[in-house]
Amino acid sequence: MTNQKYVFLQALILTIIIFNIGIFFGYQLESSRIDKINNWYLESDLELLDQKIQSDAFSFIDFDCDLLVKENIRFADNIYEQAQIIEEYEEANRINNEIILQHKRYDLLRTLFWINSIKIKEKCNPNYHNLVYFYKYNDPSIEQKSMQNVISNLLFQLKQEKQDKIMLIPIAADNNLFAINLLLEEYNITELPTILIDEEIKVVSIQELKEMDKYLN
Amino acid sequence: MEFFPIVYLGYMFVSLFFLLSFLLLYKKNRKHLFDYPKTEKKYGITVIVPAYNEEKTVEDTVKALLNSDYPFLKKIIIVDDGSTDNTLKIAKKLEKYSKVKVYTKKNGGKASALNFGLKKARTDLIAVVDADSYPAKEAFSKMVGFFDDQTVGAVTCFFIPRNRKAFFERLQTIEYHIIAFTRKLLDYVDAIYVTPGPLALYRREALVKIGGFDEKNMTEDIEATWHLAYEGYNRRMCLQTYATTTIPKKLNEWYRQRRRWNIGGLQCISKYKKCFLQRGMLGFFILPFFALQLFLGLLGLSIFFYLTTTRIFNNYLFAKYSVSLGTPLITMEDFLITPSFLNYLGVVLFILGAIFTLIVLGIMKSGVLKKQNIFNILIYLLIYLSVYPFIMISSLYHFFTGKRKWR
Repeated sequence: MTNQKYVFLQALILTIIIFNIGIFFGYQLESSRIDKINNWYLESDLELLDQKIQSDAFSFIDFDCDLLVKENIRFADNIYEQAQIIEEYEEANRINNEIILQHKRYDLLRTLFWINSIKIKEKCNPNYHNLVYFYKYNDPSIEQKSMQNVISNLLFQLKQEKQDKIMLIPIAADNNLFAINLLLEEYNITELPTILIDEEIKVVSIQELKEMDKYLN
Repeated sequence: MEFFPIVYLGYMFVSLFFLLSFLLLYKKNRKHLFDYPKTEKKYGITVIVPAYNEEKTVEDTVKALLNSDYPFLKKIIIVDDGSTDNTLKIAKKLEKYSKVKVYTKKNGGKASALNFGLKKARTDLIAVVDADSYPAKEAFSKMVGFFDDQTVGAVTCFFIPRNRKAFFERLQTIEYHIIAFTRKLLDYVDAIYVTPGPLALYRREALVKIGGFDEKNMTEDIEATWHLAYEGYNRRMCLQTYATTTIPKKLNEWYRQRRRWNIGGLQCISKYKKCFLQRGMLGFFILPFFALQLFLGLLGLSIFFYLTTTRIFNNYLFAKYSVSLGTPLITMEDFLITPSFLNYLGVVLFILGAIFTLIVLGIMKSGVLKKQNIFNILIYLLIYLSVYPFIMISSLYHFFTGKRKWR
């Protein structure tokens, strides 16, 4: 009987080939998801720029405040939904680290939107609440993770109830982005997760979360 | 990339490598899997039947041996290893057959009974047959030809479970088929790592050279095979013939049997660790294969425990916070899973594994595929195989604490 130990070498080569094909397809799958996020980002970026111009031009052009607020809320809802999908993609992401950069870009976009929204609120005095949700993105503890999952459900529930009465803006607070760090300092956000309501009320504990409804009426 | 994906990819790589190795070996040898060499030589055979409390089966075992069509089966030695039931009485009655000789000794374990019998045997070949196993009529005739090759020290064959009707027995039946088939494939690379107790044929000279069976080892058959490999003897597998054997009917019997196999394997790793990457396939395949199995099993189990514990803790906190805030415990989003590419790779690997299992069950001549439904095969692949790492933990405990009982 001829010895066939060379089969192990053949199997190893074949394994490396099949494995690399698998990794390649995995990379392609993740890249296609990132491309999708990229396209959303570009659209959102464009839309935000449009809104920013509107709010900046407000001082010398007579805008319809109702329309501006309506557009603002629609945009907020849109990027909130996108944030949820991005989160799902991130959980399924294994090899392509570009998604982390995308997340940071989105955080900055949402921060810019928040600032713009503050400006609109000052000018139009609309009847909605800004809910900025600061959460821990990098290596949250089990407790933080559980709490964040519950808060996500709570905010989703609130959004369903209040509809246009609230504007949800989730922002990862620990990505070491200078602009976000400045705002955290400005509003004295030291614990994560924290919900900031109308740039005034900080909601951190379970008890405060239970009572959140009273701040939103 | 994070730690866990790297580990998962490592597992997938190793699994794919072994699966492809087996598929390639099958592809190259598929026309000759059931071949066996014919011989003109007249090898005398002495069969040793070690028996400890085997009153229910020993008579049928001896009758199966007496029914053998091999003309040079000289003697059947039953070694009663201090049984506390009627084994000796039943065995003594079998001495009415001229070939049967019964000895009794103080209980000392299977290996000591085999060594006792070995001292009484004078033929070229020694067969070891468990007292609850039943070699086919033509088993010896089809196995002896392998010994024309002077480098062959031991030959084994295919074992078919005798009791295979109950669900749990059906799962083991699938396993026995896979084991037999892969053992035949390992034959082509000189990597057979065990010639199991139900039926193994040894060259007497080889057994004497290795000093018989190791009485300290829980699996004397694995140890003897490794020792033969250490001494440069080849081991062969004859897929053309079989012996039927009694398999555990209950989960606890099965668990104890597998634990004993594991402990024996650990003892062998410990005894032959100095041969790592030495002594041919013993050091280049068998030893690393066992060590890798042990390492991957334990790593997998550690990850499983870590993930399960954190998941339970996470779910507990989630439930606690959800209840106090009145938020739903389950939402629609929980059912919307975005698969990662590792999930897809896992599915591909599972499909390949299932195809391999179906190939094996399809080509084995016992027609086992017809008797198995897809549910049994899925349970075998998804659950039965996953239990092994858990048994390993208990085996390690017994190995390190010295709590080693044969039964």
